[in-house]
This record gives sequence, structure tokens and C-alpha cells, in this order.
Amino acid sequence: MRAVHKRYLREFLPAMTAYVVLILGSVWLLPQLQNTPLRVLATLVPVIPIVFVLRAMFRVIRDQDELERRIDLESIVAASAVVGLGSFTYGLLLSANVLPQPRAETVAVWVLPALFACFGIAKCLVRLYYRGR
Amino acid sequence: MNNRVRELRSERNWSQADLAERLDVSRQTVNAIETGKYDPSLPLAFKVAKLFELTIESIFLPEE
Repeated sequence: MRAVHKRYLREFLPAMTAYVVLILGSVWLLPQLQNTPLRVLATLVPVIPIVFVLRAMFRVIRDQDELERRIDLESIVAASAVVGLGSFTYGLLLSANVLPQPRAETVAVWVLPALFACFGIAKCLVRLYYRGR
Repeated sequence: MNNRVRELRSERNWSQADLAERLDVSRQTVNAIETGKYDPSLPLAFKVAKLFELTIESIFLPEE
């Protein structure tokens, strides 16, 4: 594994671990809190490690070699297109009342995970393309 | 674009990993260049040329 990817794992894994711990803590704590500022704090604290996850991603994209960067950027474009078009289509169907109405927070919370999942799938496909003959 | 990277690498008995290490890129990038799936940037092409002690145009050949 190249140094740039080792650094990525060193940055990504602790941030992701912190996120899991904080989100579990937040879910456990929220029902016990009545005070609004405390509820806001408990809800938003898990977002902090996600910022570090994104920072790790930006740094690895910037510092890896040119083909790796191209693969990541093409994958991000594909993932953004799929999630953007998918959510737009879903929104149109919801506004036409042909689908059961979900809770707004459920839709909003799933945007980022959907983006990450689509990025992962797109990256596998783009890598296959560049693997060559 | 066609190129002679695989041929030049084989002449030196280097693996793709060896060449990748010398160019400070991934093995995947070397493979993509050799198979013609990816045309390197000008700085990387210069690096390849310098490593093989050849000119860029003697390594990277435009398709007819």
C-alpha cells in the first residue's frame, strides 16, 4: 500500500470509529434529554468526525497519483448524478402523491450515506474500466 | 495513443510494481498506461521518458 493510502487509513479509521461511538451515544442520550440546546448538541456532535472523514477523503484525492485521482473524480461525478437524479425523481413522484410520504428527516439523513454507497459502487466499476485488457 | 512502456519495462526486467515505485505512481496506473486505457499527463510522460533515457515521442506514439 502506498504512503498516501496508509495516511488515508490513519485519518479515516479513527474518524469513522469516533462517528460510530458518538452516534450510538447520541441515540442513547437523546431520549433522556429535555433541554433543547442539549438535544441539539447531542444530535450534532456525531457530525464532527464526519467532517474529518471528508477531510481525509479530500486529502487522499489531492495527493494520490493522476489516474487514481481521475478514478475518484469520475466516481464522484457518477455518484452525484445518480443520487441527484434519483432524489429529483423521487421528489417528483412524492409531489404527484403516487408514493407513500416518508418523514422529511428520513429522506435528508439518507442523502450522504446514499452518496457514499454510490461512490463505492461507481469506483469499483470505473477501476474495472481502467484495469484494461 | 500507443506506447512502448511495456516493451521498455520488459527489456529492463522490471515488474509493473518496480516501474510504479520508480515513477511514484500506483501499479494500477502503470498497467492502465501499458494497456492504453490511460494516457499520462505531460509531467508523467516526461518522468517516464527521463527514467528510460529516451525522448517522449520515441515512447508515446500517436495512433495512425
